[in-house]
Amino acid sequence: MLAEYLPTLLFLIVATGIGIALILIGNFLGPKRPSPEKLSPYECGFNAFEDARMQFDVRYYLIAILFIVFDLEIAFVYPWALVFRELGVFGLIEMGVFLALLFIGFIYVWKKGALEWE
Amino acid sequence: MPNVQELNLNYNAILPELCVIGAGLAIMMYDAFAPKGPRRLAGWIALAGLAGATYSVWRLWGLETAPSFNGMLLTDPLRLTFSIVFLLVAAVSVMFSMQMLDDERLPAGEYFTLLMFGTVGMLLMGGAGDLAMLFLGLETLSITTYVLAGFRRGDLRSNESALKYFILGSFSTGFLLYGMALTYGATKTTNLAGIQEAIATGALTSPGLLTVGAALMLVGFCFKIATAPFHFWAPDVYQGAPTPVTAFMAAGPKAAAFAAMLRIFVMTFPADGGDLSRATTGVLVIVAIMSMIVGNVAAIRQTDIKRMLAYSSIAHAGYALLGVVAGDWTSVMFYLLTYAVMNLGAFGVVSLLARVGDEKTDIEDFAGIGFKSFGLAMLLTVFLLSLGGIPLTAGFMGKLVIFKQCWQAGHTTLVIVAALNSAVSLYYYLRPVVVMFFREREEEFVPPRVSTMAEVALTLALFGVIYLGVFPGRLLSELDRLAKRTPAAAQLNSQR
Repeated sequence: MLAEYLPTLLFLIVATGIGIALILIGNFLGPKRPSPEKLSPYECGFNAFEDARMQFDVRYYLIAILFIVFDLEIAFVYPWALVFRELGVFGLIEMGVFLALLFIGFIYVWKKGALEWE
Repeated sequence: MPNVQELNLNYNAILPELCVIGAGLAIMMYDAFAPKGPRRLAGWIALAGLAGATYSVWRLWGLETAPSFNGMLLTDPLRLTFSIVFLLVAAVSVMFSMQMLDDERLPAGEYFTLLMFGTVGMLLMGGAGDLAMLFLGLETLSITTYVLAGFRRGDLRSNESALKYFILGSFSTGFLLYGMALTYGATKTTNLAGIQEAIATGALTSPGLLTVGAALMLVGFCFKIATAPFHFWAPDVYQGAPTPVTAFMAAGPKAAAFAAMLRIFVMTFPADGGDLSRATTGVLVIVAIMSMIVGNVAAIRQTDIKRMLAYSSIAHAGYALLGVVAGDWTSVMFYLLTYAVMNLGAFGVVSLLARVGDEKTDIEDFAGIGFKSFGLAMLLTVFLLSLGGIPLTAGFMGKLVIFKQCWQAGHTTLVIVAALNSAVSLYYYLRPVVVMFFREREEEFVPPRVSTMAEVALTLALFGVIYLGVFPGRLLSELDRLAKRTPAAAQLNSQR
């Protein structure tokens, strides 16, 4: 039983060995000319302009909520599409009711001016 | 997967919910399309929806108990009777709210939409035949109440109330949901009838898991009904929320959580002396005693009338638990009905006396108004005496019925503690009465404006208090008849 794991063990040994060997070879043979820029931790993108803990416009949350509403709608429509044939007309009507309810919410949000950015 | 024919889609069974949802959506559309100005019609649309729902409940009244929607919903006497309580609470809250919204120029469209959707949540909780449905109803109810509690956006107390309610409410929901998950793990089903069957036939994956699940659900429910070790949120939330919202919160969601609790702990879990029932009964007895003592003792020291009523509501949750301990749902339902009427009445009067923006909620603010605003003072007196359990009022009858059931179930100590507590509570219920009638007033007093709708609501509450207190016979015998017809959920499995 344990013998069956021998290839795995060999694989682990070889992989670890190659990893260690490569680092050691690089350390011994590579040229070393350090500069402050090279020694600083690697970070991609721009330098940070300001503190990340700033106030967010409340409208971001509104957008986030609206996104979730429509995202969930799609998440519900996909499984329905999968069993569309089995559910038949009944499923179509039920989905129509669901979408109509969401649509009412959408109209409400729209008419209340929640979608106007300024 | 069951096909569509087997799902038992009985739209008659959800007609009450559909009426209320319809009213909520209609208010939303009215709010969106009506020209600028106060939304005076919103309250009327809400009342119409509630009336339609009441009619639909009445149509279901005589029918046999039946599950529908694949066992998600259960139409039985518990659901129907509690539905009447929820609809009554919602209607009276709507009437009280109309004046507040008008006076303070708050957006009535949003308010009534939220109130309607919250009512739907309560109705679904009362009729849930499945843990998933129960949770859905609870969340629908909770989220709307969190928003309603913070409806006075410019008022710091209202904001504090909403935030506290939201954080602690979500926290307690976590307990409840975890309990449900463990129960599901133990019984392999979320259907209540299925759970009952699994327990009865011993088909549990692990009995310990079920006990832990039941314990966590109990914690969740005790949070929602605000009983003693889990009551800390109640006074702050009740004090900070606009008073009509407080009236709604103390009567409606509390009753809904009790309905759900009865469904699970009385009607689903076996009552006969097993480990599970002994454990839950033991815990409930302790919670009830703590709740009554903490609520009543703390209420004595309050100077703010809304806070006092909040502590009294904690004590009343303790009294109502007596019926859960006794395993008798009708007495709990009757108690919550009486509590709803007198509590709505008391908070209604307070919301009028506290003036616009809930400025004057100190008991001392009411000094000497007894003869200057005689009608309101008398009403508040009647409601407070009823809360204290004076004979010939609803509060007395409710307590009598529930104490009797509990006594017959053999929990004599519990009944004695409750009766003593009831006597203590009279002290603080009488204090505002004394302050109103027998104290001199230094400042000037202008009687508050009382709108017609508020008058109607107060009349309804007063009628309820007197009717339930003096002539409860018919209702009680009807409840008795319904209780005898309530079949055990397991028998329904064949129909499912």
